[in-house]
Amino acid sequence: MKPFFLRVTWLIVLILVITNLFIFISGIVLSDEINNFELKTDSLRKINLSLEKEVANLGSLKFATEQAKKLGFTNFSSPQSLDQLGYAYRP
Amino acid sequence: MKIKLVFLFFSLFYLAIIIRLFFLQVIYSPENKSPYLKTNKLYSVRGRIYDKNNHPLVLNQNGYTLYLEPKKIIDKDKLINLLSDSLEIPEASISAKIDMSKYWLAIQGGLTQEQKDKIDKLNLKGVGFDYQTKRFYPEASLSAHLLGFLGKNDQSEDVGYLGLEGFYNRDLRGLPGFVETERDIIGRPILIGVQQRVEPENGRDLILTIDKTVQEISKKKLLTGLDLYKAKKGCVITADPKTMAILSLVCLPDYDLEKYYLFSEDYYKNSAISDLFEPGSVFKPLIMAAAIEEKKIKPNDIYNETGQVSVGEYNIKTWNDKYEGKISMTRILEKSSNVGMVYVGEKLGNKKIYDYLEKYGFGQNTDIDLQGEASGYLKPQANWYPIDYSTVTFGQGIAITPIQMIGAFASIINGGYLMRPYLVQKIVSGNKVTEIKPKIEKKVISPLTSEIIKKMLVSTVENAEAKWDRPKRYVIGGKTGTAQVPIKGHYDPTKTIASFIGFAPASDPKFLTLVVLYEPQTSPWGSETAAPLFFEIAKQLIVYYNISPDR
Repeated sequence: MKPFFLRVTWLIVLILVITNLFIFISGIVLSDEINNFELKTDSLRKINLSLEKEVANLGSLKFATEQAKKLGFTNFSSPQSLDQLGYAYRP
Repeated sequence: MKIKLVFLFFSLFYLAIIIRLFFLQVIYSPENKSPYLKTNKLYSVRGRIYDKNNHPLVLNQNGYTLYLEPKKIIDKDKLINLLSDSLEIPEASISAKIDMSKYWLAIQGGLTQEQKDKIDKLNLKGVGFDYQTKRFYPEASLSAHLLGFLGKNDQSEDVGYLGLEGFYNRDLRGLPGFVETERDIIGRPILIGVQQRVEPENGRDLILTIDKTVQEISKKKLLTGLDLYKAKKGCVITADPKTMAILSLVCLPDYDLEKYYLFSEDYYKNSAISDLFEPGSVFKPLIMAAAIEEKKIKPNDIYNETGQVSVGEYNIKTWNDKYEGKISMTRILEKSSNVGMVYVGEKLGNKKIYDYLEKYGFGQNTDIDLQGEASGYLKPQANWYPIDYSTVTFGQGIAITPIQMIGAFASIINGGYLMRPYLVQKIVSGNKVTEIKPKIEKKVISPLTSEIIKKMLVSTVENAEAKWDRPKRYVIGGKTGTAQVPIKGHYDPTKTIASFIGFAPASDPKFLTLVVLYEPQTSPWGSETAAPLFFEIAKQLIVYYNISPDR
């Protein structure tokens, strides 16, 4: 009986050691992932802000004015005239 | 023997642990050591500001503060030279900031991502960056006075100053959170250790009543007007007269929001809400409406305009000292007769004049949602002299702000309601949207009086002594104003405040615009400066709002 209990005890200790090692390594892997996600989230937040800036710039009156000047739009556009309501009144 | 071996094994094992701990805690270089219990501040994002069509006026942007750790600097001169090139600031400025006895020095704040990347590429020792968000204005300084700016308080915390940033600072700023975790030597979280996280609450976004196109039109035209009429400064306010939702508010000169610190404090003042002025003749319709409301006069009543009027030791005359004899009440407004208005004031009575000034909200804040509003001054009735009751009928001897003027004027054309002017129509916090409704302060006149005064104001524009280039086929109401500027107890005849307040279309006003020009040089008269500027703005607004012709 005695050798049997001894073997079982060793087996349990071995399983516990392996489990412990597994948990320890999993913990490290998980920690690494958390760390990476934290960095990625932070980076994404910064990218989002930069993209928001670009989108806002493209939709701004400032940009529209610059483009209109560059393309010579103001030289060729139809005049807005209240005397010729065909232009002024947009049905 | 076996026991001795086990004992030796454990002893060596513990010794190894002790040596390792000693190495980590005492010998290991502090610069690589990660704090065991790490607390990170989670920054809240300051609320953004959008116009009524959800076009952004203020956003957040990545920003960095460049700092130095002088003890780690290898070649100070080379570092100064490279930073000077990258930041485009003089070497002397950087050099003056560097104190080699310090461990940490902030050199320059507000750097962009591009500037940071450029400096990163230089791979300089002893240079680092702190992250911070900064404000970004896609439309540049289109609405400088309106928006206000973000500065720092004495604890280096972000604080909004003036305008909307100041008024809504508590809503915009949000609340920072924090995360507290136990970390291992290389900064990885220890999962079985302390883990505490309090999420930040981002600032609320503001959706304004401002329309950026109307704002752009107003600013461009005002800029042209200031140049054309050589005025010292000027303001244009456009509002929806039914609700007093402000559609545009521009005062010039203004300042660059990105570099507000380069401007003197005088530029920060929003004249539309902070500057007091004597309104002059634009004030006349308010007194006329009060007299009609009290049934003291009717539009077609006749007044015999024979000459100057004496009040005590003062003589009151018309602007050109010409008199037309028998004229109607409507004609008094058309020709902007001061003596005619004195007559209207006498019919209304002193007590009623004062009562109506209070009803129109003069002497009180309008409670517009902008920081820095002045309330104007309405002296107690006991201190009023007879001449005060006479001059106030044509807008002299009373100090008001442009926002008070447009608010009171709106009440006489919107059916009689004095509304609280407002700029923010929605406050957005995550998925929760709080709508801000127009608020009636009080009822001043009846809808019938309002209709009568509107017709009189249309007639005032159509039969005014000055002829303007008005939009054809559109019925527009309005009134010019020219007020002299009081200096040391006297009026300076060379300095005036020229104004025009008008609305269109008269049948159902879509917009009400007040133009104020301070000390125009080409002509002192509102009819020759502010009025043409108003019609230039009105022409564009009629097109923008797609208003169909009345005739």
